[in-house]
Amino acid sequence: MRGRQVGAPPGSARGRLDLAERILGGPVLWGGLALLTAFAMGPFVWVLLSSFKTRGELYATPLVYLPQALQFANYVDAWTSSLTPFSRFFANSLWVSSVTMVATTVVSILAGYALARFRFVGRDVFLLVFLATQMFPAVLLIAPLLSQWYALGLIDTYQALIYSNFSFTVPFTVWMLVGYFESIPRELEESAMIDGCGRFRALVRVILPLAAPGIAATAIFAFVSSWSELLFAITFTSQTEMRTLSAGLLYMVGQYEIQWGQLSAGIMISTVPVAALFIFLQRHLIHGLTAGALKG
Amino acid sequence: MPQPTATLAAPLARPLVSLRTRRLLAGYAYLVPAALCLLATVVFPILKAIHMSLYNHILIKPQEYRFIGLGNYLRLVQDEVFWLSLWNSGVWVFGSVLLQFLGGFAAALLLHQAFQGRALVRTVTLLPWVVPGVVVALVWEFLYQPNYGLINDVLFRLGWLHERVAWLSDPGLAMPAVIATNVWRGVPFFAIMLLAGLQAIPGDLYEAARVDGASVVGRFRHVTLPLLRPIIVVATATRIIWTFNYADLIFVMTNGGPANATQITSTYTLVKAYSDLDFGYAATLSVVLLVIMLTFTIGYLRVTRGVESVG
Repeated sequence: MRGRQVGAPPGSARGRLDLAERILGGPVLWGGLALLTAFAMGPFVWVLLSSFKTRGELYATPLVYLPQALQFANYVDAWTSSLTPFSRFFANSLWVSSVTMVATTVVSILAGYALARFRFVGRDVFLLVFLATQMFPAVLLIAPLLSQWYALGLIDTYQALIYSNFSFTVPFTVWMLVGYFESIPRELEESAMIDGCGRFRALVRVILPLAAPGIAATAIFAFVSSWSELLFAITFTSQTEMRTLSAGLLYMVGQYEIQWGQLSAGIMISTVPVAALFIFLQRHLIHGLTAGALKG
Repeated sequence: MPQPTATLAAPLARPLVSLRTRRLLAGYAYLVPAALCLLATVVFPILKAIHMSLYNHILIKPQEYRFIGLGNYLRLVQDEVFWLSLWNSGVWVFGSVLLQFLGGFAAALLLHQAFQGRALVRTVTLLPWVVPGVVVALVWEFLYQPNYGLINDVLFRLGWLHERVAWLSDPGLAMPAVIATNVWRGVPFFAIMLLAGLQAIPGDLYEAARVDGASVVGRFRHVTLPLLRPIIVVATATRIIWTFNYADLIFVMTNGGPANATQITSTYTLVKAYSDLDFGYAATLSVVLLVIMLTFTIGYLRVTRGVESVG
């Protein structure tokens, strides 16, 4: 906390490394980092360990910390269960998130480019709308969307989930890409157009390769937020086979007694893909997210 | 040099639509897909919600469907739970954002230092943020479990607790418990934003301050804090709005209970729509949420615009 620095005793102002800095740089830093890592990872480690425990170990008193052996029964049960088939949930989440990601990326590249490059009446209104809709909660849309999808016969379909996801992925990704495209100099596609390229081809051939990191960041964002989406998933699907991982996990809890072993396995199944994706691509995501905030 | 042949200047054929208009149409064309998405999934539903709020529309009582004008709004004004939910929302937002900010700032300061394995620690720190909300809720529900949860066990072994505490079932403890979970989830956001801000501060400024005799505290107060102010404001404003809207955690962990102790306005709307199937009233709550959100958005724009104009 900030208080840590205030509490340090004042050292000589002109020394190379005064006492305060030595204390801060040494034990405080390492203590803080240990605390931070334990804080962030602790709960996950606990769930991971639990996913390998047997029923007896999970509900033992006193509490058993480490499982006797790495047994995968919980994972097999969760994956193949007829009541809560995680294999099916996983496939559903993968499909919905992927389609949302692709469609959102295409739509937001076009819109972001237009808002960044073209000057036209209503441009500011559009920008404002894209910003304002980011602030709207999903709960606001639940009741009307449910009645809308029901009327269109889209309950228990992938389409209802994919379209509903657009309500939060499109505004954010457009907003991010507008900033990103604005940072790419106009001269680049203008010189391509002088050479005879149409504007659209200039966009595809010249701008897109340059904007690849920003576009990757928005694609990842769309995928991860669709994967995590809960409210639409539980409201617009009722059949077990159509549930996504989020809805499936919640459905599992709704059953009589919470099977913590299987639930832990289900949690790991839901988390590991996005965590792995994030770990590999975090640099792009962070860069894309903070670039907007640091503008100017 | 060949003689230039005399030409009769012929006027170019004028296209039906002028170049400027074509450019304008092209601009709009690029926006059509995104506009369609928003129309279908945001604009139209909001209009529908306004329409629905004027009707008595309970899904399981179709025979009672009728226009009641402002009847739902009257009910809202007299609804104790609604006002309680506004108060709870305030507690939820204030507690969560403040602690997330402090924790995130501490984390950012730590991550700003150069040390071995920094990239790894930074990645690990971000994990609570990337993980699905329902996962966070269930993981912490497991930790808070009175009989086989880790928290009670650790506190027991440390001697700080002498009897099992039902964190999520106790009306007095439920809100702090869910706030703690929300803080765990939100610290990475502030950590990332503030770290980016810290990394943008040029080292020379610290050197100049040190040469002038400023201590660690002095450098922090006079160099770090002022330069971080814009990003602190933007991150906090964004987070406040986001937290106010965030229903997933509470919905999964306590469903607004016990006895509405953790019922915030967004979860109350969800309960009305999803559990009670009272669409008319849920739509009314949605409209009220919309008005609140628009007010917040205007406030947010004022605040962040003010920030950009300074320095």
